[in-house]
Amino acid sequence: MAVAGATGVITSAELADNAVTTDKLKNDAVTTDKLIDDAITNPKILDETITDAKLDNPGRKNLIINGDMRFNQRGFASDVDNAYTVDRFVYQSSQGDKFTITQDTDVPSGEGFVNSLKFVTASAVTVGASDYFMLSQPIEGVNSAVLNLGTADARTFTLSFWTRSSLTGTFGGAIGNAGTRYYPFTYTISSADTWERKTITIAGDTTGTWATDESHGLILRFGLGVGSDKSETAGAWAAGEFFSATGATSVVGTGSATWYLTGVQVEVGSTASDFEHIQYTEQLKLCERYFEVCGQGASGVAEATNSIAITEKFKTLKRGIPTLSLKASQQCAFRHQASDKTVTPTGLTAPTPSYRGFWTRVDGFSGLTSQGSIESRNNTASRGGFIFADAEL
Amino acid sequence: MQNFSEVEKEYFEGNFNNYIVTLTDGTKLYVPLEEGNKDYDTIQQWIAEGNTVIDNGGGE
Repeated sequence: MAVAGATGVITSAELADNAVTTDKLKNDAVTTDKLIDDAITNPKILDETITDAKLDNPGRKNLIINGDMRFNQRGFASDVDNAYTVDRFVYQSSQGDKFTITQDTDVPSGEGFVNSLKFVTASAVTVGASDYFMLSQPIEGVNSAVLNLGTADARTFTLSFWTRSSLTGTFGGAIGNAGTRYYPFTYTISSADTWERKTITIAGDTTGTWATDESHGLILRFGLGVGSDKSETAGAWAAGEFFSATGATSVVGTGSATWYLTGVQVEVGSTASDFEHIQYTEQLKLCERYFEVCGQGASGVAEATNSIAITEKFKTLKRGIPTLSLKASQQCAFRHQASDKTVTPTGLTAPTPSYRGFWTRVDGFSGLTSQGSIESRNNTASRGGFIFADAEL
Repeated sequence: MQNFSEVEKEYFEGNFNNYIVTLTDGTKLYVPLEEGNKDYDTIQQWIAEGNTVIDNGGGE
């Protein structure tokens, strides 16, 4: 009769069923190297063994919309002041005409980006105590609610982004709510004119009042020159409204200085995962909650010889009731009484928007037959959407 | 912060319907009477700072 283990090796056949129990294994005895390929199959994984905590930010993770600067529905001009630039990013300043801002194609190599936002100091200024020059993205409360801010369960989150500048040194920004709680942060650009990725992990604020509705939930700000009135020590939550960190580099202080930004991400957790590239049309839908180009699906009736009344449903439910405006110098084309009517509208009259669509008169036509029907006929690229619906924060 | 040049009330069929804001670059914004709309909220702040809204009444 063979003695088990006589050869110095105990084979599987020599082990009784259930002989090797979990209790007989030393801690760390079963290492990854000792597992054959495909040894751990799905049936061997207990229910609930893999929890969210063991995964690296599962699900949709980026609270920032258009963080890759891809969408520029407004077609913003380079001399923008106190207005939105690319979708969801607003430039705010205490003095006008200090930056030239453009959607650019200079991006970090090999990261899958197509666009960045570029700032060039057009007119250098020494920042006074009350001055500010900054780029911000307000995050709607319904989206930032996941952070549990203002509660004992506030979650740690991580900001990451790609940036480059002609300047080096310590730069600043801040993240906070609509004006009572802010966390100033710093980041260092060590090499001029070189793309660098920055990450900042922030323990969620357990105090303060944080909106979880359609208003400002969380606001991310990048300071490009902020005076002492709106600067505070970096690295801690502070009561009040702050736009940057004390001592941060003033980009606006140096003529022709450049500063680029792309790949902006805010995610739950203490690590910065790769930027979340999402489908082009998916990103557009996220942007359209705040800004949509309309007019290509409108129909209605001529209310006078020079004015039509149209209705149109939005493609995306709006955050709030939007402001309407005409896209500058944009033609529109309508079919009316068996002929085309193509004009550049001169104005809107009595627009009545809602969350889901709008009614408005459009002025600037001639020769219409009152009460005759009209239908959108935007049959060339130059006759695209001509009405902006803006429900931004 | 705002780039307002002038703000006017617009009436429709005798009722105050919306504001028309003219920006310094000539762009006109048609602003609904709705708190939470950023332009409406900015108009209220602009008025609170002592600026005057043009009001030509509701006659059509």
